[in-house]
Amino acid sequence: MIFMLLMLVILFSLLTVRQQHPTGASAGNQVAKTIFAQHGKEAHVLVVTRSTDEDRAFAQAAVKRLKASGVDVLGEVNGSAADARKAMESILSEGKTIDAIAANHVTAKWTVYDRFPSVGSGKCVTPKPYTWPNFLKVSNLMGVANQTAIYAIIAIGMTMVIITAGIDLSVGSLVALASVSSAIFIRDYCGGANASLFMIIAGILLGIGICAAAGSFNGLMVTAFQIPPFIVTLGMMMMASGLSFRLAEGRSIPELPSMFFWLGRGVTFGVPNPVLLMLILYLIAHFIMSRMVFGRYIYSIGGNEEAARLSGVPVKRVLLAVYTICGALAGLGGIMLTSQLSAGDPKFGLMYELEVIAAVVVGGTSLMGGQGKIFGTLIGAFIIAVIKNGMNLTDVDPFNQKIVLGAVLTAAVLIDRLKRHAG
Amino acid sequence: MARLSLAIFSGLLLVAFGCGDTASNSASDSKTENAPDVQSKGTIGFSALTLTNPFFKVIADQMQEEAEKHGYELIVLSAERDVKKQADHVDEFLVKGVSAIILNPCDSNGIGPAIKKANDKGIPVFTNDIKYDGDEGKVVSHVATDNYQGGKLAGDAMVKLLGDSGGKVAILHFPQAESCQLRVKGFHEKVNAHNDKTKNAKIEVVATLDGGGVRDEGFKATKDVIESNSDLAAIFAINDPSALGARAALEAAGKATQVTIIAFDGQQIGKQAILEGKILCDPIQFPDQIGKVTIEQIIKHFNGDDVKPEILIPSKLYYKEDAEKDPLLKKG
Repeated sequence: MIFMLLMLVILFSLLTVRQQHPTGASAGNQVAKTIFAQHGKEAHVLVVTRSTDEDRAFAQAAVKRLKASGVDVLGEVNGSAADARKAMESILSEGKTIDAIAANHVTAKWTVYDRFPSVGSGKCVTPKPYTWPNFLKVSNLMGVANQTAIYAIIAIGMTMVIITAGIDLSVGSLVALASVSSAIFIRDYCGGANASLFMIIAGILLGIGICAAAGSFNGLMVTAFQIPPFIVTLGMMMMASGLSFRLAEGRSIPELPSMFFWLGRGVTFGVPNPVLLMLILYLIAHFIMSRMVFGRYIYSIGGNEEAARLSGVPVKRVLLAVYTICGALAGLGGIMLTSQLSAGDPKFGLMYELEVIAAVVVGGTSLMGGQGKIFGTLIGAFIIAVIKNGMNLTDVDPFNQKIVLGAVLTAAVLIDRLKRHAG
Repeated sequence: MARLSLAIFSGLLLVAFGCGDTASNSASDSKTENAPDVQSKGTIGFSALTLTNPFFKVIADQMQEEAEKHGYELIVLSAERDVKKQADHVDEFLVKGVSAIILNPCDSNGIGPAIKKANDKGIPVFTNDIKYDGDEGKVVSHVATDNYQGGKLAGDAMVKLLGDSGGKVAILHFPQAESCQLRVKGFHEKVNAHNDKTKNAKIEVVATLDGGGVRDEGFKATKDVIESNSDLAAIFAINDPSALGARAALEAAGKATQVTIIAFDGQQIGKQAILEGKILCDPIQFPDQIGKVTIEQIIKHFNGDDVKPEILIPSKLYYKEDAEKDPLLKKG
């Protein structure tokens, strides 16, 4: 499977090779140098950038460098095209001329310069572009990991459930339930946007706890009453979805404190928090599944439940625990999503169960149970995310995207099957 | 076996990206052919609410055309009403380095962080049809139908229909959408103004039900309304699909001639129904205008002009006479 992921990465890297534009202070220095080389000391230069941090760094460096080499800097615009227009109007009305404009690739594309016949966009000097695939930009790779994190976290529980030859269709609705219940708790009982850290943690635990309870209910029905998991969890999917719409009265709940957003949007050691949490959870899950008795039990139940029971595996207790874990992780996913999108919403999690099951199966876990690896699921989740991201970056038509995604998923599983039969 | 799997895999991907490839190739070809003064000025990213509703498809197509005219390339993605998907789209637009982003927010609040992210990168965000309500990020300009004025037009049409006789009226609402709230507000205003003036010919709103904006919900709601109000005279439906659901329910109950329907939107199916006399009239929206004006705002923004934060496109009443002149409809 990792081979498949590598192929996709190489493919999309090749397909998305584009011109890239340097930004920040080094780009500013470079532009200043170019202007000095072209126009010499006599030049009158206007610096035009937007008000973002990167652009300000660019402008500062350019102005410093230009002034150091004795060039006359007419002004510095940090804003929109309208600001640039006003600056140019005032400069020209004072009778001064503009010889060059230090701009970056974005501000150089503004059409505002052509309003003034004596200026024109031909006077823009921009940093020299270089070539690099869009797909391999650090920001894109981080984005893909960040987008996958929530699916991947829910998929851990789903992998365990599927290895026991079960299925859990309720995870998508539990995402919504956790999101809504914790958001309502924080809004109604903890003072909404002014809630303290302690109350936020209580709200998060409440959301995850409710979903864990729903998971236990699934497990109980499966073990104690022998109802097929498909039916039990289908019922839970509808109940949880209906309940979250009811609780939220169909609306989203944005009254949340900004501390709550750290979980889904914060960055630790340069890595987005969801990605970090995902990696930690995968390491723990891998340890449980490969090194601990509990993991062995899960595999043996999926291989042959009757044999497992006869050889002393506490089948019912293990199944109950597995469904509870799956529910709790879905709840955690819901909390992460709420934090990322800064509102609780009963519409969250729609069709997540299918996305998650697809990640598990693409990752090589058998729906028949007994086979599968936790890290396989992580790779499966990334394969799906990379295909989606790659198609968006290569401008595949939205309608074709669905066809391609379906076909590639089928092909990925087919190839895996063929390889296993051959080897 | 490894070779076989490689062959299947690469074959699939070739087929899959065939279309994407040719598109980008032709784009880069035209860039190199063009003279420097008409070179591509950049790309604009559009994440639509959904493309399965023809209304948004028209907006997307019109923007594509208009953007090309001004030397921009438009990338269209469909968020399928999923706000997380839409936030991911914004991430990808930023990676691609688009010049501007256009959204139909899937959630009037939830899209805030994504807009903020674009703001932080200095990429201007525009919205159309659905307004962003939160205060986290900043939208340069919003373009939409003037739904309040459209609702007033619908109210006028209702007064024209029942002004002399009076009668019972039901509203098929979709209260979750702000646009529909405005439509119903405008409608009420005109009807109330009429009721204040008249003594005997009052127009009485007997029921306001959720028609979901879709055919089957409209059907069910209408069935319930005529069950309890057998002397209903007219229905105001907030869009065409729910109006057509209402029509089906009226036909099933044998009341199609007694109850007149006034709808909203002016989608192809709605106009066809007006031509066939199934709906009396629609205040129609102009998605093509919405698309065109949105692109114009972007051009203005880059041209250094001040852009209005909100632009409303007035709607217009569309009766059978208009439908008969409409070249796009099937006659006979």
